[in-house]
Amino acid sequence: MFATILKSVLRQMRRHPLYVGLNMFGLALGVGVFLTLTLLVRYEYSFNAALPDVDRLVRVDTHWTMPGTPPGEVAGSTFRALPFLREDFPEIEAGTRFENTELQTEQDGVFSSFVSGLTDPAFFSVFGLKLLHGAPDQALAQPDGLVLSDHAAIRLFGTTEVMGRTVRLNRNGVTVTHTVTGVLARRTTPDLFSGIEMMAPFSSEDMTTRFCFLSWGSDCGRIYLKFRRAGDIDAVSARLRDFVMRHAAGADSDSHALGTHPEKIFGLLLAKLGEARFRDFHVLYAEDGVDRTVINSIGLMGLLALALACANAVNLATARAGLRAREVAIRKTLGASRRTLLVQFMGEAVLVAFIAGVLGLALCELLVPEVASLTGEALVVRYGLVGVVLPLIILVCGFACGIYPSLILSGYRPAAVLAAARMPSGGRGAARLRDALVTGQFGIAITIVICMLVINHQTVFMRTADPGYVRSGLLIGSAMPGHDLAAQRKMLDALRAVPGVITAGFGELAPRPDTKNLGTYSYDRPAGPVSVYLLQDVVSVSYFEVYRPRLLAGRWFDAAHGQDDLPPRDEAPTRKANVVLNAGAVSRFGFAAPDQAIGKIIKSGGMTARIIGVIDDMRFESPRQAIYPEIIFFNTLANQPFNDPIPAVRFQGIVEADMVRRLNRAWAGILPDASSDFSAVDARMSAYYSGDERRGRIFTLGAAAALLIACLGLYGLAAFAAARRVHEIGIRKTLGATGRQIVALLLGDFLRPVALSCVLACPVAWVVMRRWLAGFDERITLTPAHFLIAVAGAFAIAILTVLGQTFHLARAEPARALRAE
Amino acid sequence: MLISLSHIQRLYRSDEVETTALLDIELGIEAGEFVAIMGPSGCGKSTLLNILGTIDRPTGGSYSFGGQELTELGEAALAAFRRENLGYVFQSFNLIDELTIEENIELALIYRRMPKAERRRRVAHAMDHVGIAHRARHYPSQLSGGQQQRAAIARAIVGEPRLILADEPTGNLDTENGAQVMDILQRLNDEGATIVMVTHSPSHADLAKRRVDMLDGQVVISVRNAI
Repeated sequence: MFATILKSVLRQMRRHPLYVGLNMFGLALGVGVFLTLTLLVRYEYSFNAALPDVDRLVRVDTHWTMPGTPPGEVAGSTFRALPFLREDFPEIEAGTRFENTELQTEQDGVFSSFVSGLTDPAFFSVFGLKLLHGAPDQALAQPDGLVLSDHAAIRLFGTTEVMGRTVRLNRNGVTVTHTVTGVLARRTTPDLFSGIEMMAPFSSEDMTTRFCFLSWGSDCGRIYLKFRRAGDIDAVSARLRDFVMRHAAGADSDSHALGTHPEKIFGLLLAKLGEARFRDFHVLYAEDGVDRTVINSIGLMGLLALALACANAVNLATARAGLRAREVAIRKTLGASRRTLLVQFMGEAVLVAFIAGVLGLALCELLVPEVASLTGEALVVRYGLVGVVLPLIILVCGFACGIYPSLILSGYRPAAVLAAARMPSGGRGAARLRDALVTGQFGIAITIVICMLVINHQTVFMRTADPGYVRSGLLIGSAMPGHDLAAQRKMLDALRAVPGVITAGFGELAPRPDTKNLGTYSYDRPAGPVSVYLLQDVVSVSYFEVYRPRLLAGRWFDAAHGQDDLPPRDEAPTRKANVVLNAGAVSRFGFAAPDQAIGKIIKSGGMTARIIGVIDDMRFESPRQAIYPEIIFFNTLANQPFNDPIPAVRFQGIVEADMVRRLNRAWAGILPDASSDFSAVDARMSAYYSGDERRGRIFTLGAAAALLIACLGLYGLAAFAAARRVHEIGIRKTLGATGRQIVALLLGDFLRPVALSCVLACPVAWVVMRRWLAGFDERITLTPAHFLIAVAGAFAIAILTVLGQTFHLARAEPARALRAE
Repeated sequence: MLISLSHIQRLYRSDEVETTALLDIELGIEAGEFVAIMGPSGCGKSTLLNILGTIDRPTGGSYSFGGQELTELGEAALAAFRRENLGYVFQSFNLIDELTIEENIELALIYRRMPKAERRRRVAHAMDHVGIAHRARHYPSQLSGGQQQRAAIARAIVGEPRLILADEPTGNLDTENGAQVMDILQRLNDEGATIVMVTHSPSHADLAKRRVDMLDGQVVISVRNAI
C-alpha cells in the first residue's frame, strides 16, 4: 500500500507540479513558522523554570502607597529587611541580597564594562547554580572573590581555566583587585541571571554607608529567599504586614524608619520566581518582565500560520478532488472498495504533510537564528520539543488535508462520473467551503497585518515622540562617583571647555535613571491640604540650556537669585528653597493652570519650598509608565556638592562619535580611575523600546508569512478556477462579453472573499490593538489609516496574485475555450 | 446579402503539423434564410460555424456581415458585434452550471447593458416562446437535455439577433426532444430569423430552406430544399 501511495504522490508531483508545489511549499512555510514561533514561546515560558528548586524561590518586592501617586509594586526592596526576615521566619532556608550593576575592568588604562551583580556569600545557597570551577560555598566568601560566567572568562582570559587569576575592577571610582573564585557553568534555559557576566560580594563600605542597607524607605536592591517548603510562601506572605509594623516603624525623626504607621504606605510582597517572567511585566523596574498576552499572541500567530497553511492544503485538495474523479471511477469499476480508496487518499495526504513537515523543519533551522537576532533571545532549535510537535503536526495536517477529499473522492459513483461530460467540482457546497477558507485565511492575515502596522507605528512613535526636551545634540554621561565639590566644579568646567560643547550641566536624574529619590510634599489648598509624592531632582546652572525643557509658567532658576540655590542639608528645616515643578506635579496639587502655582508654598517635613516655575513633563523613563510628578531643586555648586551627579552636554557642529571621544577624554582628565560613558538619549532609552521593537519585528515576520501563505492559497485557487472556468468564459465571450468584462468578473469573484475577510478582520484588530495600546502611557491613536493601508495592501497583493491567471483566462479564444471540455 | 464569405481559409498549426480545416470557402446567405450545413465528422462544419459566429478567426479570406467586413475587427469590436447580432445554440447546450436558467438567458442582455426591467421582460418572453418558463429558477443540472436545449435557444433569441447559429442542436437529444427543437427553430425562421445550423441528421437538414454539404474543408454542394 505504501508503495502505491508513494508512486501516486510522485506521479502527482510530476503531472501537476504547480498544485503539489504550492501545497507543499505553503504547508512547509506554515510548519516552519509554527515551529519557530512555538520555540520562541516555549523559550519565554521556560524562563527561570530550570533554576534548582524554583518553586521555593521568591523575590521580595515592595508595594508603595504614596499620596498623590497610584499604588504600585516595585521589583526590589530595602536590604535592611533581610536579617529581620531570616530572624522572624524560620520557614526561610536561605536568603541573599542582589544588586544589578555594571562593573568595569581596568587593564592598562582601558575600561571594559560587564553586566554584573553584587551579592552575598549565601547566593549559591539560595540559587543552586552549577559552577564549572570553584566551590559554591566558598566562591563569594572572601571580599575580593569574583565569580565569572564562562562567557566573561573567555572574554577576559580566552579560557575558562581562570581560577586564582586576578581582575582589576573599578568600584565607585576606586580600582580594586579581585581574584577569580568561581566560573559559572553555562545554562541552556533562560533565567534571571542569564545575562550576568560577573558577581562580586558587597563591600563592607556598601553595607555600612549605603541608604539601601540602612533605610526602610528604599527599594533599590533585590532580596531573594529560598523557603524550606513551597507551601510556606503564602503563609509567610500573610504575616508580612505585621512584620513591617514591627520593624519599619519608628519616630518621625528617625530617617531610616517609616513613621509610626509604616504599613499605610509600605508593604512587602513575595514574588514567586517561577511566575516572574509574566508577572514582572506589571511590576515597576523589573527588567525581565514580558507581556504574557504578547507572547501568547505570538504563539497564536504561529498556530494561525499553520492553520492558514492547512486551510490552503484543504482548499487545493478539495478543488482538485474533481480532477481525479475519473481515476477514482475507473479504480472503483476495477473493484477498489471505498475503504481502500479512503486509505489511499489519506495516505497520500499524510505523505505530502510529512514531506512538507521535513521541509518546514529545515525552514525552522533557517528561521531560528534570524528570529534569535531579531529578538535578542538565545533561541535554539530544541529537538526534544520538535520531536514531539512535528509528528503531531504531520498527522493533524495530513488528516485535515486528506479527510474531505478522501470522503468526496471515495464517494463518487463511477457510472455518473464516467458518463458526465465535465469533471465534478464538489458542487456548490465545496465552492462555499473554498470561499469560507479563503475568507478565513485573509481575515487572519489582514488582522495580523493591521496589528503589525499598529505595533510598528507605536514603536516608531515611542522613539520619536516629544519627550519634553530636545534630544538631538544632547549627550549624557555616567554618574560621577563621590561627593567631591571641587571635582564636580572642575568636571563641569572641563566639559564646557571641550570644543563643540555649547554648555554642560548636572542633574541627579537623567534619561533611564538608575536610582530615584522621592519625597512627600504637601500644599495647603483653600479646599484643604493635599499631599503628593514627588520625584526629586537637583540640577545645576545651565541644566535648562542643556535639556531645553518647555517653561510653562514663571521662570527658570537663576544663580543671581540667592534663594534659588538649595540650602545645605543642615539648614534645610529653617530655610525656604525655590523650586520648579513639572506639569504633572502642578495638576496633582490641584492647580487649574501652571501660572496659578507660581509663588505658592509647598512643604516637606520642616522644609518649605516656593514654586518659581513650571515646566512641561520630561520623559526619562518607559513610555508604558506614567511620568512622575516632579520637583526640581537648584544647586549652584557654591556651597555643597551633588549626590552622584549625572553630566549632560549640549553640543553642535561635531559628529556625535567624535564628541563622545572628546568628552571621555575631558572626563578622564578629572577622574582617570572612573570610566565615563557618554551616550545619546536614544541609546540610553533604547532598553524601554527594545522589547516592543523586537515583538514588532516578530509580528512583521508573522504578517509576511501569513500574507504569503494566504496568497499561495489564493493563487492555487485562481489557477484551479482558471483551468475550470475556461469553458464558462468561452460561453460568456460567445455571448458578447469583452475581455475587460471578463477580467472584472473574475477579479470580482476572486476578491469577494477577500473583501468579506476585511469586514471581519477590522473589528477584531481594532479590539485587540485598542487593548494593547491601553498599556502605554503615551500612545498613538488608532486611525482609519491603519486599517485602510492593511486592506488596500491585502487587495493589492490579492489582485497581483490572481491577475496573471485572470488575464490569461480573459484572453482565451472562445472557440478554443468551448472545445476545452 | 446578409453574409458573404469569400476565399475563407482556416489552418491550425501546431509544432510539427499543419491542418487545413477550411479551404477557400465561398458562401453567401440571405437574410431570412435557414441553412443546414452537413458533412462527415472533421469536414470543417463547426469551424465554419465558429467563423460565422466570430469566435474563431479565419487565417485567410474575407467575411462580410450586412456589408461590414469582420476579419479586420479587433477583439472588443467583435465582442460588440456578437452581442448585437448573433445568437448561439450548441450541441452540448453550454449553459453555465452556477447560474439559474433565468440568469443564463439574461446573461446575453447583461453584456448589452440593457436596463433590468427590459431584461426581465425579454427573458420572460423568450422562456414563454420555448416553453420553459416554469423552470426559470432551476439550475441546468436539474433539467432534462431537451429542456436545457430549449433554454439555450431562449438565450440565443432573447437578444433578437440577426443571425442564429446552431451547432448540432439536436445531437444530444432523443427523437422527440429533437423534433421539438427543430419545431422551435422553424418557427423562429418563419418569424423572420436567419438561421445557420450544423447537423448530422438528413431529416433535420431537410427542414431547412437550403442545404450546404461539406467535405474536407470545402463546400461541395449548396441546394435549396423543396418545401
